[in-house]
Amino acid sequence: MNQNHSIDTEKYEAYLKSTHRLGRIASVLTLVLLLGAPFLIGNLLGTAPDLGAAARGFVSVGLVWTVSSIVEYLVYTPMLGAGGSYLAFITGNLINMKIPCAMNAREMVGAKAGTPENEVISTLSIATSALVTIVVLAVGVALMIPLSPILESPVLQPAFANVVPALFGAMAYKYYRKDVRLALVPLVVMTLLFMFVPSLTSSTSFMIIPAGAMAIGLSWMRYRKMKKEDGQE
Amino acid sequence: MSVIEQLNGSSLYLICGGIVLVIAVICVLFLVRAWRAGKALGMDTVRMKRAITSSATFSLLPSVGILLGVLALSGSLGLPWPWLRLSVIGALHYETQVAAAAAEQVGVSLSPDAMTTQAFATIALLMSFCIMWGMVLTTLFNKRYTKRLQKADLTKRSGSGFGDMAMTAMFIGMVSAYLGSYLGDFVSGNGRFTFSGAWTPLAVVAVAALAMAGFTFLAEKKHWEWLDNFSVAGSMLLGMAAAVIIGH
Repeated sequence: MNQNHSIDTEKYEAYLKSTHRLGRIASVLTLVLLLGAPFLIGNLLGTAPDLGAAARGFVSVGLVWTVSSIVEYLVYTPMLGAGGSYLAFITGNLINMKIPCAMNAREMVGAKAGTPENEVISTLSIATSALVTIVVLAVGVALMIPLSPILESPVLQPAFANVVPALFGAMAYKYYRKDVRLALVPLVVMTLLFMFVPSLTSSTSFMIIPAGAMAIGLSWMRYRKMKKEDGQE
Repeated sequence: MSVIEQLNGSSLYLICGGIVLVIAVICVLFLVRAWRAGKALGMDTVRMKRAITSSATFSLLPSVGILLGVLALSGSLGLPWPWLRLSVIGALHYETQVAAAAAEQVGVSLSPDAMTTQAFATIALLMSFCIMWGMVLTTLFNKRYTKRLQKADLTKRSGSGFGDMAMTAMFIGMVSAYLGSYLGDFVSGNGRFTFSGAWTPLAVVAVAALAMAGFTFLAEKKHWEWLDNFSVAGSMLLGMAAAVIIGH
């Protein structure tokens, strides 16, 4: 389902140029707001972020997400185009929503990757998707405000104190089923380590680094083996 | 006034709501520009409308799933901050992991009783900092990168080599570190190999994993694909519900 008319190259180039300008301004503005908010909120609460602790937290868990962000940027930008990628990285929820949403819209109208039509459609799609999320969350939060006293009740506190184990339980099933054999080694090693050195539980986020390195190392060895076997066939 | 009450204060709603509003305006700007550009380029407006309508309907269910994520985080971080984070840039699994790591560095746990105002400010900063790289990369390289893509059409490349495997392995390592810590804490938390440590986190892990298995089964085998939108948040809420039952 392709359009027969030719796309005006000059108009399209001008649109792309202004999209990059707007995208950069929007990204920098969002960055300033998001990084400034914790300081502003801290100030209102009569405190400030502990920068040393934040730096240690970044070393333990942030590096993983930095690598993940770089990979996401390289992989998803070709699918999203210029406008779509600026918006997607500002509004988040890429894998679980924005990417499939844009792909769905693109398929629906028959736009091909890398074309001006795709650029426009993916921007329309991601902007719409982000606006829907913003509206749903705003309405949902407004409805939740009256429920705040219930959410703060002591009965529910064990639930909120266990939000991290709940996340990792769900994630464990999601990722372990992809490669059970690979998962066993870091799980056993980490469990033994925490059993023999219980004090390490206060530094769990730092232990992500050796656990991740171990899993990636094992995965790399298997990848090399697979490549070798493919070469021999 | 408790810390959680402070974190649910009206000033926080104003700050977070203001930022959400700015992002909404940015989205509208991009939407209007793309619509006008499409028309100027001679694209069929019916097809553009279809793209908008399908994207809106497509996003409804996942957005409700994200809302459940706000609920999951609201107990320890208040409502306004998770609302901002999940409206704008984050994703539930990312936010929770980073918040837990930041809490650990300031010597508290991610729970309502342990939260302090400084811990919250630090957690909020780390949440914002760790996930900013996508925006940094688009700001610095998008122009050049998309130009290169236009010339080379890299989208036709097939296979992602070791990248996908490495990403899965990285997350497996991350999950293993946390599960190992819960197991280790149960076995040796109150003295080495006494098996008298906290077992609630292990029970929560088990319930959440089982719930995730159930969601996955229904989505994959029964073809209830829409359920996927709720799988992470739904599993977490079921796991957290188990903690309430155990706590009583």
